[in-house]
Amino acid sequence: MIALEAEGLAKNYGARAAVRGLSFQVPKGAIYGVLGPNGAGKSSTLRMLVGVLKPSAGRIAMLGGPITRETLRRVGYLPEERGLYRNMNARAAIAYLARLKGTPAQAAFKRADDLLNAHGLGSVKRKRIKTLSKGMAQKVQVLAAIAHEPDLIIFDEPFSGLDPVNQRVLEETIRAQAAAGRTILFSTHVMEHAERLCDRILLIAQGAKAFEGTVSEALALAPSIATLETEGGFDLAAALAPKGFTIEAIGEEHGNRRWRAKLDGGGSRQLLQACVEAGAPLSLFEPARASLHEAFVALVGDRVAHGSTR
Amino acid sequence: MAPVFLVARREYLAYVTAWGFWVSLITAPLLFAALIFAPLLLARAEPPRALAIVAEQSADARNVEAGFEREARTDARAEIEIYLEASAPGVAERALAAFDAAPDRASAIVAARVEAGARAAAFPSPAPRYFVVPAPGADIEALKPYLSGERTLADGRALFGALNIRRDQAGAPSIEYWSANLQHDEPTSIARRAMRLEMQREALAAQGLARGEADRLAAFEPKVAQFDPRPSAGASGEVTLRQRAPFFAAIGLSLVLWTVVFSVANMLLSGVIEEKSNKILDTLLTSVTPIDLLLGKLLGVAAVSATLFVFWGGLGASLMQFAPASMGDSFIGQLAAAFAEPRLVVAFAVGFVTGYLMFGAIFLALGSLCESIQEAQTLLGPVTIILMLPMLLIGPAVDNPNSPLIQAASWVPLFTPFLMLIRAPTGLSWAEIAGQGALLLATVALLLFLAAQVFRAGIVNQLSVTALFGRKKQRD
Repeated sequence: MIALEAEGLAKNYGARAAVRGLSFQVPKGAIYGVLGPNGAGKSSTLRMLVGVLKPSAGRIAMLGGPITRETLRRVGYLPEERGLYRNMNARAAIAYLARLKGTPAQAAFKRADDLLNAHGLGSVKRKRIKTLSKGMAQKVQVLAAIAHEPDLIIFDEPFSGLDPVNQRVLEETIRAQAAAGRTILFSTHVMEHAERLCDRILLIAQGAKAFEGTVSEALALAPSIATLETEGGFDLAAALAPKGFTIEAIGEEHGNRRWRAKLDGGGSRQLLQACVEAGAPLSLFEPARASLHEAFVALVGDRVAHGSTR
Repeated sequence: MAPVFLVARREYLAYVTAWGFWVSLITAPLLFAALIFAPLLLARAEPPRALAIVAEQSADARNVEAGFEREARTDARAEIEIYLEASAPGVAERALAAFDAAPDRASAIVAARVEAGARAAAFPSPAPRYFVVPAPGADIEALKPYLSGERTLADGRALFGALNIRRDQAGAPSIEYWSANLQHDEPTSIARRAMRLEMQREALAAQGLARGEADRLAAFEPKVAQFDPRPSAGASGEVTLRQRAPFFAAIGLSLVLWTVVFSVANMLLSGVIEEKSNKILDTLLTSVTPIDLLLGKLLGVAAVSATLFVFWGGLGASLMQFAPASMGDSFIGQLAAAFAEPRLVVAFAVGFVTGYLMFGAIFLALGSLCESIQEAQTLLGPVTIILMLPMLLIGPAVDNPNSPLIQAASWVPLFTPFLMLIRAPTGLSWAEIAGQGALLLATVALLLFLAAQVFRAGIVNQLSVTALFGRKKQRD
């Protein structure tokens, strides 16, 4: 079952193309990440998905049909630029947004109470938004986005502005919503969140799709590396060059030399075997797991990827 | 509840639950009253101005001093007459006759007060604008230190001015007025009238007639009445307070209309700017359409205005309940009755709805283009000048509601709500009502349509003043 599908989605701001022909599918019940550096077109894509922006081209199918007011009532959205009515209290703000989505008044206030209590904000539910800390206000807005129990939740950069503790809390909230059968799509430029949470990811660079698939599929595209240490003055780079390995010296410690090997094509087992065959006096052999960021760099190039990704 | 009503409800509650709203609700009528009565009170607050008279002939000095006394008595009579007409018209004639019969100003005021009796509890005690003091010097040279402020009178007060009355060889008088205050020359007018009367007396005496004949001739006053030729004025057609009251009420209502329309239009402007700066619009736009949002805001703030009118109307009606029945014929009573006249109520209601929708739509559209109040102010400057134009037309409309200028201006939809209201008591033709009404409604519809387009562009596509006229802002 597909919860959300975009086909050939494009958005132009005057002569500038912010999004260029994006196509992807979000399976029902999945946690789906849209990743890319700042300016990649993530927010424009998400704003088109929730009907705030009109696409310049392309088609969107959501929860089994085109975007309509009725479908949007089943969507929860946390925009990148966040804000609530500063003079409303937390409870009223959540209930108001839930009511705008069609939740009856009594149920909206009950859900607001339940959510605030469950997320440790019960003591501030009567406090005005302007008196809350930035992190608390952001949590209130996340709760407002899910108070009407939507089938599809779309969060734009939900982790930005949160401290590490609250980032973990939000990760738990996202997992809980997914466990309840909801589909979650969120954008981020912090790859670690996507690595920990996502079933599938969409990597965007300069408005276009760079990759779409599972996290492990993305990681497989990244070049693996290994860190090695040889005793004495042994020249590992020279010894393994004939066997096709690219190795560079990265330093020296206590008379031992350190090396970094790129495992292009070959695995760590082959590298270790080549070292043994070359008689290398190894004191350290440490294969490293590639990160999503490295996969992204491999896909789009260093200059594009290092916009603001980590 | 439909989203548009939820938006309207939130807008309404956001204003009426603020304590500032109730403060302004209560203080506005007080400020309005202060605006009317403050000039009167300020004028009374100023102490009488001291004047000295030096004259070559002592009779001239006495005549001019008597002229100032007459002027003060006339002023006092006018003030008492206004008071009695407004508060107790039933006793006005008797009290004024008592005033006229008294020998001098002070006793005239007492006589009128006694005649008015308990029904005039807060009877005015008018103070003269000038009082003539004995000259502290024999001639103007001697008075100059007092006039320039170097010296004060024996009682410590300043000498405001001095009149020097001279006679030439043929006996013709001339008046010199000396004062450091160059703007105020009313004493010359009073002295001129006094000396003119004296010259008339002398001229009559020269022809062998009694001097007092001049005073008798000066007192001649024809009876003046005003009539309205239209059938609607009734059989006699005489214009009384009852006929005039609706015009005064229309002027008051048009000022209230203008003030309220622009106050609530400003609420719309600041409300949408607040939402833009609070970054809440993206959240709202997944639940409501921009048009729902626009309509909800217009409805919500209209309800705020309705609260204002209900409160003020209720306050006025309550106050009238406590007013004595005798006030029904007074100016205030007639004015109060005029406020409730159906033609004025309808003109005010139509004027408010159309004026609010027109100017509210303009302000909402402007607000959607601005990120801050400061940015809005750059746009509001020229817009405010246009919006002030109806106020500039209110003056000429009061003077002649059917002048060609006002009739032509009534066809300009931005002015129609205000001018229609002022012209309502004169009796508008059905052709004017239908024509101007249709034009007004068409303009309201067009402005709402255009405002909706700008509003949508402003809040959805982030179209802004900066993007239009300055550095472009782009989103991720």
